[in-house]
Amino acid sequence: MGKYFDQEANEKEKLLIEGHLQDCSPCRDALRSMGELKALLKVPVEEALQKEDFPWVWQKIEKEIRLQKRLKWWQSLHSWFDVSTLFRRRVWIPAAATFIVLLLITAQIIFKRTPSYAGASVVEYLDSPTYNVMVYQSEEPNVTVIWLFEGPEKGTTPS
Amino acid sequence: MALRRAGKGDDAFMKRIAFLPALFFVLVLFSTATAFGQVQTRIRAIEASNVGFGIDPSLRDVHRELGSLFSFTSYRLLRDETLNLLPNQTVLIQGHHPGRFMEVTLVGLRRNVATLRIRVIREGVVILNTEIRLFPGRTVLIGGPRRGEAVVIFAVSAHF
Repeated sequence: MGKYFDQEANEKEKLLIEGHLQDCSPCRDALRSMGELKALLKVPVEEALQKEDFPWVWQKIEKEIRLQKRLKWWQSLHSWFDVSTLFRRRVWIPAAATFIVLLLITAQIIFKRTPSYAGASVVEYLDSPTYNVMVYQSEEPNVTVIWLFEGPEKGTTPS
Repeated sequence: MALRRAGKGDDAFMKRIAFLPALFFVLVLFSTATAFGQVQTRIRAIEASNVGFGIDPSLRDVHRELGSLFSFTSYRLLRDETLNLLPNQTVLIQGHHPGRFMEVTLVGLRRNVATLRIRVIREGVVILNTEIRLFPGRTVLIGGPRRGEAVVIFAVSAHF
């Protein structure tokens, strides 16, 4: 019925519904009610539409679109690095605060990882089940030597 | 209290500028995450002998140490390996003869100290097992394995 009312029914459906409407008074009443409701809604909507000035709104939109003209890639790139606004107070205060926070965070990491050359290498343990081993710590130059007293090689050609 | 809205230009600029510290922060975090906990270990195998004279030009940085500690007349670089070790990662280095290996494991890393476990393996048998605490830029020399008439000295240093 809704499809018929909205004039979306095809010829076959139209014929079927019209045939049915001739014998069914509740359906005729329903169709009439739908028509009345449509008329009731149509009047205020049309009045509201007449009051609206759509061309004016569209003109405004078009104007905005025209203003946002497409920049060339180098112009766009340049605008990213435009620092003129940096000198405004409302920008440099939060920017400076952000920079200090980042500096504090990164400084901890950087200084933590700075190598110290003061310590000498330490041999925690040393073990050889087959040969004698020795550890020698030289102070000048500051170097640690681990020496394995391996016997002569078997079956190898001297170089 | 009246609220004042920032200008249109300011908004756009703030959006642009906000990305720069964000990008910097992300880069710092990324580089820290990748570098943190990694130890660059350099292992050089040096052949020391009394056959011939001279020192390999690539051993200039350890020339003083070698000269003052040992009485060999010739030092030749056999191999130079740089490993990026992660904690508990073991790397096997092929030795100067078949069947000879050096196994290097980073067993600990603290502020300025890397602890390395080094095992020298010959024919499947561990002939030397040691654990050393290494400071950045310092060199530990592990010598003794034979190579004919010469001996092999491993210069182990780390940077982190």
